[in-house]
Amino acid sequence: MKKIISIVFATFILSACYEDTRVTLHEPGVYKGKRDTQTMPAEEREALLKLRFNEVQTDR
Amino acid sequence: MARMKFLCDAERCIECNACVTACKNEHEVPWGINRRRVVTIDDGIPGEKSISVACMHCTDAPCQAVCPVDCFYTTDDGVVLHDKDICIGCGYCFYACPFGAPQYPQEGAFGARGKMDKCTFCAGGPESDNSQAELDKYGRNRLAEGKLPLCAEMCSTKALLAGDGDIVADLFRNRVVRRGGRPDTWGWNTAYKD
Repeated sequence: MKKIISIVFATFILSACYEDTRVTLHEPGVYKGKRDTQTMPAEEREALLKLRFNEVQTDR
Repeated sequence: MARMKFLCDAERCIECNACVTACKNEHEVPWGINRRRVVTIDDGIPGEKSISVACMHCTDAPCQAVCPVDCFYTTDDGVVLHDKDICIGCGYCFYACPFGAPQYPQEGAFGARGKMDKCTFCAGGPESDNSQAELDKYGRNRLAEGKLPLCAEMCSTKALLAGDGDIVADLFRNRVVRRGGRPDTWGWNTAYKD
């Protein structure tokens, strides 16, 4: 009888153990800092940086 | 819109650490902080490989996702920057970053951390472009001057590339084709050495 009770008890205890396979995902929040005001529009900067890349970073 | 990215060609990097020195000098990075590092695998063994590592300006940046004060933002160019005025130096971004990019100056006794500092892709921060405040807090803003990050611009072997991800990828693809195959940094012979 004692053995049966211990088996039931052990089964009950072990059945409470499980591994949560869900991955915790974090989404970025809304930026709360100072606004970054660029002096140059993004399109203009893109064209300028493309020129620069071709000038200084292409293969020799 | 361009998305700025770094790429380090392990076949070309000679571990000269000039990118590290250039970055420290350009931004007057304090002692003890390295925004960029050169990592060498199998150092001293024939076939060793080195790559220069800094903030990779991730498209889905984990630092941005875990920041409890939401001090990170992504610019129109895809550069991940942060506002030091609201950073509390908690270190969460350091744990989240797969590249170990966030750095912290030691402030005061007992190893108390200061505001986080990291590579800005030479794009400064949220302060006015090329202002003294921006220079003091984040370093030079070369992008506002129409220049690319200095580490890549002065790389002698052109191992480190920085610019629009599409252009960088095209350049690297051409290199690989010229070499007559894929780089030797990955594959069966690298993964399963005898």
